[in-house]
Amino acid sequence: MASSARAAPHAPRHADPRVAEPPTSPSETTGFLVGKHLRLGDNFWRAVAVFGIFSILGVIGFVVRLGDGMGETAAWGYYVAMFSFIITAASAAPMVAIAPRMANSHWRRPISRAAELWSVVGLLSLLWFIPILWILPPLSDGRRSLWFFDMNHPNLVPSYTPHIWASAAILGLVVTGLALVWVSCLPDFASIARRAPEGSFQRRWSLWMARGWQGTSRQWHMVKRRMGILGAFYFMMLVFVHFLISVDFLMTLVPGWIDALYPVTHAANALQAAAATMVLTAWILRTFCGYERYIGLDQIWGLGKLMFALSLLWFWFWFSSFNVLWYGKMPFEQAVIELLITGPYLWVFMAVFMLVFVIPLWTLVWNPVRHSLWGPPLIAVGILVGTFLDRIRLYVAAYSVPGIGNPSVHKHVLDFDHLPKTVMPDIWDIFIMLGAIGLIALVYMAASRLFPIMNMWEQRELQLYDRGHAPYHRAHVRVMGKSE
Amino acid sequence: MLAKKSVLGLFPEGQEDMAADALDALREEGYTHSEYEIITGTPYPEGTFGEEEPKHTLFRWPLMGAACGFVVGLVLTSGTQLAYPLVTGGKPVLSIPPMSIIIYEGTMLGAIIFTVIGIVIESRLPRLFMGAYDERITEGYIGVAVTTDQDRVGKAEEVLKQVGAEEVKRGWES
Amino acid sequence: MLEHVQLDQKTINKDLLGGVLGTPSWWLPTVLFLTLVVFTGLGAFGYMMNKGLGVTGLNRPVFWGFFLVNFVFWIGISHAGIMISAILRLTQAEWRRPVTRAAEVMTVFSLMAALHTPLFHVGRPWRDFWVFPYDFARGVWPNVRSPFVWDPSAVMTYLIGSSLFVFIALIPDLAVVRDRAKNVWVKRLYSGLCLGWRGTPRQWKLQAVAGILLSALVLPVFVSVHSIVSWDFAVVIGVEGWHSTIFAPYFIIGAIHSGVSAVAMLMALGVWMWKLDKYIRPDHFDAIARLLIVVATTWFFFFFLEWVFALYTLEGPEIVLRELQVFQWPYSALFIVFIVTAYFIPVPMWMFKSVRRSAFWMLITTILVNVGMWLERFIIIIPGLLRRQPLTFDWGTYHPSIVEILIVAETFAFVALGMLLFSKLFPLIPLFDIKEGMTNRREFKIGRLTIPATVRE
Repeated sequence: MASSARAAPHAPRHADPRVAEPPTSPSETTGFLVGKHLRLGDNFWRAVAVFGIFSILGVIGFVVRLGDGMGETAAWGYYVAMFSFIITAASAAPMVAIAPRMANSHWRRPISRAAELWSVVGLLSLLWFIPILWILPPLSDGRRSLWFFDMNHPNLVPSYTPHIWASAAILGLVVTGLALVWVSCLPDFASIARRAPEGSFQRRWSLWMARGWQGTSRQWHMVKRRMGILGAFYFMMLVFVHFLISVDFLMTLVPGWIDALYPVTHAANALQAAAATMVLTAWILRTFCGYERYIGLDQIWGLGKLMFALSLLWFWFWFSSFNVLWYGKMPFEQAVIELLITGPYLWVFMAVFMLVFVIPLWTLVWNPVRHSLWGPPLIAVGILVGTFLDRIRLYVAAYSVPGIGNPSVHKHVLDFDHLPKTVMPDIWDIFIMLGAIGLIALVYMAASRLFPIMNMWEQRELQLYDRGHAPYHRAHVRVMGKSE
Repeated sequence: MLAKKSVLGLFPEGQEDMAADALDALREEGYTHSEYEIITGTPYPEGTFGEEEPKHTLFRWPLMGAACGFVVGLVLTSGTQLAYPLVTGGKPVLSIPPMSIIIYEGTMLGAIIFTVIGIVIESRLPRLFMGAYDERITEGYIGVAVTTDQDRVGKAEEVLKQVGAEEVKRGWES
Repeated sequence: MLEHVQLDQKTINKDLLGGVLGTPSWWLPTVLFLTLVVFTGLGAFGYMMNKGLGVTGLNRPVFWGFFLVNFVFWIGISHAGIMISAILRLTQAEWRRPVTRAAEVMTVFSLMAALHTPLFHVGRPWRDFWVFPYDFARGVWPNVRSPFVWDPSAVMTYLIGSSLFVFIALIPDLAVVRDRAKNVWVKRLYSGLCLGWRGTPRQWKLQAVAGILLSALVLPVFVSVHSIVSWDFAVVIGVEGWHSTIFAPYFIIGAIHSGVSAVAMLMALGVWMWKLDKYIRPDHFDAIARLLIVVATTWFFFFFLEWVFALYTLEGPEIVLRELQVFQWPYSALFIVFIVTAYFIPVPMWMFKSVRRSAFWMLITTILVNVGMWLERFIIIIPGLLRRQPLTFDWGTYHPSIVEILIVAETFAFVALGMLLFSKLFPLIPLFDIKEGMTNRREFKIGRLTIPATVRE
């Protein structure tokens, strides 16, 4: 039989340079990844410089704003919107590690730590939240609230509600997230401690953080179990935080805005933004940080599909709310639609609608875009900008409603004829927005110094299950074991 | 023009390599991929037998269907409302949210129907004459069918026998 | 995994076509009984047509009774088929293989059953066709701004789409029946139905692409159908408790909850009645039960939100309605049964591995879920309409009449009968999907542990 005729028409898939091909030996994997963690590139410091400038501008903006006092809620709309953006784009990102891990998907492995690391940015959201406790007036102004203790006197709520509960919830979320990162890093800290130079900070820090990790089967069992529980708990806390934030810090400020779906929409938007954040993170790690052997098309593609599905979800949730409010034609519902969608922020809404729904839908549906290294990151930038604008549209509009905190103003119906005008950002607002972006990046980069950004042990575990490309008669197939 | 004849070689389940060898041997004898095909009772991973990758254009079908459905939905919703302009519930005669719901259903229905038609046509179905076929194929046997000019079918039969087909039989397709 | 049974194609054909080429002994008596129930229900419908809707328990102010509750229930059940087969196909979950067909077929029959009650309910069912835009002569057209026109367009799209989906996935299996049939007429019938399927690589490839493409197309339709059904209620501002934006996702997740439970129920019945335990393994029950825990908990969260926001309105009538649902007899009792059967019994039970892996306990728990989910719709619709609020001059109540009960029973018998007749004509487990799973299955060892693996192209 001539050998030329035997050549299979199907070349093995790993001929594609875009597909990551991690090393197959455990020691090489660990050695490379520890080396990457201990070494810093120039790109890192360049990024620190740029985002550092942003952060300084942000602090300046905040201080100037603070000088005007906290009584005027409308002036703080952009600041609160940025808080919501941090909670949205950063704090939801660990879900990209948690959910596929529960479903035993292998493609998540190279990006799971990078996703979990976003929970460290939760510290920033906690810090950012503190001033909001003073900006948000107490519920005694007669707003509707979630905290009705006595039906006959619905406004008699315990003091400092909802401030104290929201703070506790955000704190819970952040602590859960940090615990998750730490537990997931335990085995990797042990690897770093063994390989880092004697006496270095990294060695002392890793040794301390590893808590005497040895790698007994009991310890492995506990790590996996704890990660499962913490992951499930993180998701519940995340949904709960979005529920509290979207109602107490947004919906209650707009009289007549009664939208039972909105808390879920707020959380779903966060998941969409999280997928986008992770696409971008993965792309940056591959392109600028030298992880191209680990992160490739599989990750970008998997996340791209996720973004696509979540874009559809965005529209469905939005339309479900809009249709019911629009159809009812009740005056206060029409006023809410006018304020948030068709009125002063119409152009912002149009931009959001395009960036988070129309563009992702019509580009990612197309295989050459979805199945590429450049397509999903580009769409992800659009989605993040869209989410940024969406948060501005809602929070700035809500905080500009007149009479917040004033008990003499009617709090159940929004007056259609006296809706607030568009609140444009002033220079300090722009500084605050830049600061938010800068600080998000800086905190994440700092976190990546303390915790390894790539999960070494999950990568090694993959080597057990991925049997690589094997010939199957005349075809090449990839044999993948099912974990657990 | 010469009439086409077909012949089928059968290989038992587990003899995938032998069937692949048969395709190689046929290729070597100068048969092209429009003349031979592999027939199986279960989907094997693509390329198992070294066969050529089938090309299809199924993805165009739902787009065409969706476009048709969209237009029908749009015409139906706007046309009926303009023809019978009854204002209900204070809503405009051409209300976009309700219309979009029906247009959406029309679009999806069009896409689905066209996709199904596309699947049938692209699968080269319906097929009236079975040609060279054997009922054991749906029981695990692998068939290698050759449909070619009358004068070349004998050679194909010989090749199939040579490779080691358990049984070689002629089809009755014209 | 040890419990996997590797089988050759011949055995698979023999096992899975047993119900088509042979007849189990229980089949005929069951079919006769169900036919009797269906005809009794149709008789009740005939009586209702003759006498008018007065023979039902419907009266001011409750004009939507058992019929509409039942409609929403069956629409909900119908969501499982596509949910299971489409989502699991798209995520390439291996455990989908034995359950997709039964789930899809259940979609088709429960959609038909869902159509029964509202069509019967309209009072003059011979004018049901008025919902279609047909009247070129007089120029009277249906009002597309009404949810009752959205409804048929969505349900018909879903029915056509899911039937075609079932048909396309059935073609390769019809060829197997064709090749096995002894009777010449049966052979001709299946030859026609399978369109002359041969099994070339091209056909198999298109079958695989079709599975993904149709899943992706039917999935958005499935979401729209129940959303639209929920808007039948939610866009109304006159009924307290209905006008809520959360209704669309809340109905969808409720539908998935009841529907996936129904699929698990079918799997248990398959093991019990068709002895399919070689194909439906404890692993499969385990996987679907884990899915159910997630679905049920999500549903419960939406239920919680719906309630929170009902109270958030701080409107007297809304709160009075909630009191009626929870504290007043008989709704209080129904409410307790509903919440306990839909969530608080099954979900804690599914936490135990022994329950998840037992066909018997899965059957019991999933029946409970569906009892609960039927009552959920009852509690949304009936107390809502009793609306004890200002400007309501009729404070009526509602008792279903025997006619309504017979018609509701008919829908249950109809779905069961449909499934049984289908199972006589077509295999309920997709043969080619099972065969593909067997072909793609690999195993390897890590130390002493055997790891199941699959082949990916």
